[in-house]
Amino acid sequence: MKKAFQIPDPAARAVSAPPAPASPSRRNFLRGVPVLTAAAAIAPTPAIASTGRQQWAMLIDVRKCIGCQACTVSCIQENAVPEGSFRTVVSTYSVKLTDSAQPAGTYVLPRLCNHCDNPPCIPVCPVSATYKREDGIVAVDGDRCVGCAYCVQACPYDARFINHETNKADKCTFCAHRVDAGLLPACVETCVGGARIFGDINDPEGELARRLKEAQPQLKVLKPELETAPRVFYIGLDERFTGKVEGQGTLWKPRSLPHA
Amino acid sequence: MNPNIVETLNVAREVAWLPWAVQYFFLIGLSYGAYLLSLPGIVFRRPGWAGISRLALLGALVCGLAAPVALLADLHQPGRFWHFYAYFTPSSWMSWGAFFIPVYLGGLLIYAWLAFRPELARHAASGGKLGGLAGVLAYGGHDSRGALKAAALLTFVGAGLVALYTGAEVAVVQARPLWNTPLLPLQFFVTAFAGAVGLALLFNRFGLRDAAASRRMAGVLAASQVAALAVGALCLALGVSGISPVHVQALAEVGPSANWQLSAVWAVAATVLTLVLAWKAPGSGLLIGLLALHSAWMMRWSIFIGGQEVPKTGAGYYSYALPLGPEGLLGIVGTAGLWVFLFVLITTLLPLDRLAAGTPDKAAA
Repeated sequence: MKKAFQIPDPAARAVSAPPAPASPSRRNFLRGVPVLTAAAAIAPTPAIASTGRQQWAMLIDVRKCIGCQACTVSCIQENAVPEGSFRTVVSTYSVKLTDSAQPAGTYVLPRLCNHCDNPPCIPVCPVSATYKREDGIVAVDGDRCVGCAYCVQACPYDARFINHETNKADKCTFCAHRVDAGLLPACVETCVGGARIFGDINDPEGELARRLKEAQPQLKVLKPELETAPRVFYIGLDERFTGKVEGQGTLWKPRSLPHA
Repeated sequence: MNPNIVETLNVAREVAWLPWAVQYFFLIGLSYGAYLLSLPGIVFRRPGWAGISRLALLGALVCGLAAPVALLADLHQPGRFWHFYAYFTPSSWMSWGAFFIPVYLGGLLIYAWLAFRPELARHAASGGKLGGLAGVLAYGGHDSRGALKAAALLTFVGAGLVALYTGAEVAVVQARPLWNTPLLPLQFFVTAFAGAVGLALLFNRFGLRDAAASRRMAGVLAASQVAALAVGALCLALGVSGISPVHVQALAEVGPSANWQLSAVWAVAATVLTLVLAWKAPGSGLLIGLLALHSAWMMRWSIFIGGQEVPKTGAGYYSYALPLGPEGLLGIVGTAGLWVFLFVLITTLLPLDRLAAGTPDKAAA
């Protein structure tokens, strides 16, 4: 496993940050994980903040994704993403099977901004409009952005785009406005299969850290060779899909608004 | 392509650097290339170069003044251009570029003014069109060699910085393997210089039609085409041999595409044709001039627009169709229109014939 996506050791963090609100992953924890007993679910997890600052991250369990695009739609609704643009989408592939009676199977891969710990989009911004928040979220200062789209070029995950309604760089914010209010990102909230787990990577008792730890041997990130240190982790990520997918491209193209 | 995987649903990301960007890189490249071509005749006073260098300086001026407008138009928030100066970000080549452009253009304007002052005075004295304005601009019409050389040096620094940043800005983008090669800045430079020679050839063709100057420029153009072919061959060799991983990746991105194969064959054929014509038929100034300009533009179009047609995560290629509005064709036509306007304005004060003439006496003759 490459160092680039090792989970930071919470114990190694300085104990200096003020107490933080309970992790939003609790809701997911309560709602979507059937294997947990009710007793475990309601057990309090005190001293969440005693391990250090919050660092938001997401774990996507590809095995649980059913490709319904509920996340895609809820993200558009929540963030008023213009028609033809997407902050998150579930890339869907038809894959030939060799070990089955069926000729082909479907592979789905939810994509979003990886909120990299070493984000290539930040140093290129000519006006420092894009930045990493203290809590790890990569954000854009819309009042400063000049819409030069250099960050769009620099993002290796095709996660950024120019919003034709605002004429500024746009991207997934982990629904920072919701997270700041103690809510889950819209895509996590609506995920039918419970495939998206969101939380504080520094909260050892939290759902996210626990699941990450459990899944450590099979954790993967997209394009690890670029050493961007993504904060979006995957379980069940097929090796053939970690980078640019070698396959036949789709002919479908979303209709985008005519832009001025 | 792996026939075992078919993408059934994904997002096609549209190009974010529009044809405006192609126009900017084309024009700024022509400008600094033409500036270099202005040095032998104007600064070093090499015999036989006076006319060529003055035509080249005209080209540097027209292209240099039009280029930043295209760059501004490529911003989706052009009114916020001042943010570049208010929020300097040293980690970004683009941020540095915002400071390099004024150095280059400021130097170029002073240099061109000093170089053309006597010419402006002559235009005013001969009662040419807008002679009054030319007289005011000439401001005495002195030939100040010391100041000219100082301004040329400042412009040289600016041109070097502009060439450096325009290349590096694109070459550092790791997310696009096609761009992420150390040779890209050199390719930009070589094709820009060749295009500038092409532009000077056209000016000569539509000015005095000085056959000696045309042959001289054809020689320079031939050399630039050899350089372009050499750099191209080096890129290909590094990619095919596997010596350089970044070149291997760059080649792998576009190699399998039939469109790209056609583009590559086209580019090589155009370069070879320009080379052969410039070498064997140096009098074909119009044709080789147009060919060189075409190659410089096409190289940038392929790199920028073609490069953005390569998905970073998705399968296959996106297909770009040139929109007709300001985000597409109108951007190209608009930039060309601005170029023509600037050309007409400047050549009204500094007629092409007068510039093309090696010496004032020759123009009078």
